[in-house]
Formats: sequence, C-alpha cells, structure tokens
Amino acid sequence: MGYDCNFGWTSTIGNVILGATKADGGTRRISYTIGGGTTLPFIEKRTDAPVPLIAFEICDFPGFWSTIVTDYCGDLVNHPGEWAKAADASYGADLIRLYLNSTRQRNFSDIASLGTVVEQVLGASTLPLIIEGSNEPKIDSEVFQKCGEVAQGERLLLGTAEAGKYRSIAAAALAYNHSIIAQSPIDINLAKQMNILLKEIGVQRDHIVIDPYTGALGYGFEYSYSAMERIRFSALKGDIDLAMPMICSAADTLTIKEVREAEPEVKNEMAIQWEFATGIAAAAAGAEIICVRHPGTIPLLKKAFADMKKTVVPAGVS
Amino acid sequence: MALKALDIYKLLPKKNCKECGDPTCLTFAMKLAGGKADVELCPYLSDEAKSVLGASTRPPIRLVKIGVGVRSFKVGEEFVLYRHEKTFYHPPGIVFRIPDTMTEEAIVAVTKRVQDEVFTRVGSDLRFNGIAIENVSGSPDIFARAVATVENVKAHLPPVLISKDPAALKAALVHCGTYRPLLHAASQENFREMCALAKQHGCPLVIRSGTLDGLVQLVKDCTAEGVTDLVMDLAPASLGDFLRRSTGIRQLAITRAVPDLGYPVYLNAAATGQQDAAVALGIVKYASVIVTDPLSPGPTKAALTLRQNIYTDPQKPIQMNPGLYRVGTPDKDAPVLMTVNFSLTFFTLQGYLESSRVPCFMLIVDTEGLSVLTAVAAGKLNETLVRDSIKKFAVENEVTHRKLIIPGYASPLSGRIEDATGWKVLVGPRDAAEIGEFLHEEWK
Repeated sequence: MGYDCNFGWTSTIGNVILGATKADGGTRRISYTIGGGTTLPFIEKRTDAPVPLIAFEICDFPGFWSTIVTDYCGDLVNHPGEWAKAADASYGADLIRLYLNSTRQRNFSDIASLGTVVEQVLGASTLPLIIEGSNEPKIDSEVFQKCGEVAQGERLLLGTAEAGKYRSIAAAALAYNHSIIAQSPIDINLAKQMNILLKEIGVQRDHIVIDPYTGALGYGFEYSYSAMERIRFSALKGDIDLAMPMICSAADTLTIKEVREAEPEVKNEMAIQWEFATGIAAAAAGAEIICVRHPGTIPLLKKAFADMKKTVVPAGVS
Repeated sequence: MALKALDIYKLLPKKNCKECGDPTCLTFAMKLAGGKADVELCPYLSDEAKSVLGASTRPPIRLVKIGVGVRSFKVGEEFVLYRHEKTFYHPPGIVFRIPDTMTEEAIVAVTKRVQDEVFTRVGSDLRFNGIAIENVSGSPDIFARAVATVENVKAHLPPVLISKDPAALKAALVHCGTYRPLLHAASQENFREMCALAKQHGCPLVIRSGTLDGLVQLVKDCTAEGVTDLVMDLAPASLGDFLRRSTGIRQLAITRAVPDLGYPVYLNAAATGQQDAAVALGIVKYASVIVTDPLSPGPTKAALTLRQNIYTDPQKPIQMNPGLYRVGTPDKDAPVLMTVNFSLTFFTLQGYLESSRVPCFMLIVDTEGLSVLTAVAAGKLNETLVRDSIKKFAVENEVTHRKLIIPGYASPLSGRIEDATGWKVLVGPRDAAEIGEFLHEEWK
C-alpha cells in the first residue's frame, strides 16, 4: 500500500497482567497481558497484538441479577462455582468477573461466606478472575481484605475503585499484589484524577485498568464511546496517567426498556445483540476487556474480534 | 493545509454584497473555513484567489446525495476522525439487499418493510434507508424485473443497483434512472461504461478496489470521465481490513493528504460473513452506505440505536421541554418526581417509572440539558429553579400533598429545596433503575 497514515503518536498503552500461572505463584492455567497498544485499536502493525478479552459476569446473589440471564442459565446461577465452570468450559469466556452482590443485601455481615464463594470460583475454573466487592463503606475494608487474602498470588483484578471509595480496594490490592479497576463517571479528566489518586497511595500504573463507565447502548453509550476514544488518544499522545488499558461493562444493558420489554421469543436475541453491538463499538474505541452477562454474546464477539484482527489483504482482491 | 477564516477573508473582495447569500464577506469566510460553503458562490473572486481557496475550502469529503424525494439521503461532508472533535454530520444509509433471484412477493415484502418500519426512541423516528438490488442471476432481464418490482411498490426508496455488468445496469436504469440510484460498481475493467451510465442518468457511482492505490486511480479515471459523485467500496477481505483502510482513508481525506480519497465509503456488510458485526463496525468507523441483508429484530434495534448514538452531536445535550409530564393517569395523591431536562435522564427515568406501574408526575426543570450530576455541580439545578418550576407548571393544582421526590445526586439540595418551596423533600435513589422499588417502599 502506498499510503501510510501518520497520527503522530508518541506513546504506548501500558501493560497490565491478569491472572498468575503456577510459574508466577498462582493456580491459573493462563495469564493475559493486556495493553501495549501503539496506535488506534485493531490497526497495529505487529501481528501479535492481543484481541480484547471477554469477561463473563456472574454473581453470588442471583436475586439481584437479570431474569433473562437467570432463566437462560438455569439452576447454575445458584452455584457460583458451577456457573464459573460453565462460563469457562461451555460459554467460552476468557475471564470470569464475579460480583459479590450478596453484600448488597441490607445489613449484610457474613464476610466469611464471601471467602468461600471466591474459593469455589477459583477452584471451579482456572481462568483469571475479576472480583467486584461490596458497595458499602462500612464493610468494604473487610470484604476486599478477604478477597485479596483468599486469592493471594492469583493476580486478580479487583473492582471497583471510585473517587469516593478506593482506599480499601487499594489496600487489599497492594497487600496481595492484585490489580484494580479505576472507575470515573464518563469524563477523561476524572479518569486521570482517579489514576493519580491511586498512584499517590502507591498503586503502580501496571496494576490499574481504567473503567470510563459504560452507559447502555441508547442510554448514553455515545458519551462512554467518546470518553474511551479520548482516553486512548491522550494516552497515545503521551499522557502517562491515562496510558492504561480500559474495561467496558455496560451493566445496565439487560435492564433497559428495549431489552426488558422485548417479546418473549426475541428477548434473548435482543439481549445478545445489544451486548454485541456495544462490545464491537467499545472494542473499536479501545476497550480491552469487554464484559457480558448473556452467554450467547460470547461466541459472537469472539468470532468478530478474530476477524477484526485480520488486516492482511489476500492477493487477488482488486 | 486548511486556512483560517481571517486568511480567507483577506482574499475576498470585502464588498459585503450579499450575493453569496451571506450577510458579510467575513461570515462567508467563516463558512468557507469550516468547509460549509463553496467558493463558486462569490461572483467577484479572481481566478487566482479561487485556485488558492478551492483546494483548501471545499469539504474534505464530498457530499453525495442518493435517491430523490423525502427518503433520499446525503452522505459524506465529514470533517473529523473522532466525533468528540466536532461531530459526525451524515449518518450512514443502511440499505437492505435483495438478490434479483428472490420471489416477487419477497421483494415486495422487504421493500414495504423498509418503507414502513419505524423505531421511535428518544423522540426520534429511526428507519432503514433504501433497497439494494443485486444482480445475482447474471441476467439483465431478471435484474431489470426485480428493480421494476421494487419500484412498483411506489415506496420511493433510494435504490442501490449492484452488478458488474453495465448491460444489466442499463436495463435496470430504465425503471429507476431518474431516482438517483447508486450504481455499484466501477472497476478498472469497466469504469468507462459505468461512467457513461452514471453521466447519462446523473447518478452517483461506487468505485471498487481492494487497495488505496486502486481507489485513487479509479477516482482519477472517473473524475476525468466527468463523474464526481463517487462512493468508495474498499472490497474488504476481513473486518480488520475494513477497519484499517476505512480509518486510513478518513485520516488521509480530512487532513487533505490525499484529496482523491475524499469520498464517502461503502460497505457491503452482507458479504463479510459477519453481517451484524460489520454493520456495527461500519456505523462507528466511517461507513456511509451500509448494505445488509434484512436484519432480524435484535440487530435491527441495536444497529439503529448505535447509529443514533454515534451521530448524536456531542456539542449539544439533547433537551426535553421543561414541564409536568404524566406517567399513566396520576390522581391527586400521586407522587411527584423532579428531575432535569437532559433527555437521556428523562427517558431513562420514564422507562423505569412506566414499568413500576405507579402512576405519577414527572416535574422536568430546565437545566439546559445538563444531567443531574453536572447540573448540581454547575449550580444550574438549585432551589430557586425548583420553586419557580413548581409555580410555573402549577403543580400545586395537580396534587393535594406537598411532597417532592428528588434525584439521589441532588441530595445536597434537599434542605434548601424544602425551605424555598415549603414542600417536604424525599431523596430518591441515584440510579433510576431503583425507582420502582423506592416508590413501592417509600411512597405510602
């Protein structure tokens, strides 16, 4: 090709390692290195650039989960270990993201039970794990401490730090060498500020994944899309405090009107297509971990990402 | 390089004659600088000034109109690589593909679907845009008959005619030649015949090549033949191939590094083997005409919504008219929920209120389209605004109680709102998804 684009990039997205294999002191069968991008997503010249990872989200309290998923997955959802095993072996996820949403029940205090759940999930699947802890300042510290401890050596990704609550997560991550999801409300400046806060208390850049917050498609997704593009742009232009990989989780997707009120016979298709279109667009904007809740979305995204990575033009096309 | 408005102004006659349609030479210069006007509109420019301005003020990507009448659409005339730099102006036309071997009933059904189907969301009507008839049969007669079948529905949809064979296109153009169909596609082998047809019928033409060099050559060839309304098919070998070249073309075109690539991009999603992914990718990454087989309900809504999102102008928050809105048929005891006039906030809350099945009032106050969080931070949402809105929209005549539910993110204002309005304030959840539960538990 005779034309080369010059975007004037000067910098690279930093790497973050997810999961630790036996060689690195963990028990995962694989560990992923994300980041490393030197230009816009999917147009890297090197052929070994990673494709976005697909994280399947599960939880320990399915009563708070979308009934589309709980109906689809059946009794599995009552057994986080079994559910994780299915995500790995049948659904084909690259990562498991466990929401400890039992902590969202009123006056929750059974911290020990969380340790058991994490152990079950770690035992049932050897994929790297993302854990979402509590959302309640009173118990945050104990919850993250427990997760960090039980999964020591596994190089978890722990979520989710926000400007108002990050100390407990950071403490657990620092103590047990896990990484952190740093979330900010769809704003590049707040994303940067969040990363600086974490840096100031000692969290290394290579232990941070940016979550710019993803609004559901049709409900603010365009803001998230542009926030991701801006973060990637600034990172490539040399802003080191934004040069971390990004995670996209459009967690509201299954509760928006178009999906919730779809006719029963197309409800699953609607959920899958909504997650799918979101995942494709987010990946094109620079997200490197795409989270989904419907198992049916995973094979579609995998196939698409594999083809999005192919850039070689075969001979004979004219 | 693009010129600044003042540099352009120096080259203008400074007569303020208004003959270009602008009130002053300076406003005309500003339009030229933004690529929103044509130098030819000024009758007093010297040829030298024209040649200086022409190359740098015409839009970096040509505007191409497809079809005629109310359903026609325009593509191109884009200026940026990222929507946040300005905005994307012309959403891609999504056209449904019909092979000419399809039965007449099926052709009519697809045409009627594109004619009638509307998906209304956030106050806008979203539609597919046209019909692409593909000469799969290889026969000019069958192709022409299929095109005639589409046209006989009288839906007046923009047509795309797909055939390598100029004879087949010629036969089809008998039925739709005056409707500005998009012809697909000119290649190195057939561009002369294709250009002749495009010129004869005044239609836009797709050029097709698997390399940027090939496209540039075809642009030179076709413009030399006198056809300038061009659209480029990149003949992508994979989604990644599309992504890479589409991005490259956009960048090379908007920076005017390769002006010959300044034409809208065509994507046949149906031919990629991953149609739904290709449609989504085409929408976000610079496709202007997307051809797809008729989509099932999921991809239909997802694609139309994604296009609406990406082509929303990021410079303007979408606003609702402030006022008192009803959900269901609320009575005098029904709850009143106050929120901002950012349309996304409105529609999200409205959706959850509808599914809560609690009839209620939504008091929408004017924060100039800012969300709750930003409006509170910017001081736009304050107790005076709430008090004045209650008065202005006569809320006190609608309900007998004096209780106001405010968004969770507005909780810092609760005391001041109580003092200013005399209403008791209940702080609702931060997340609209929890409003149903909140009403069922807290509204007695």
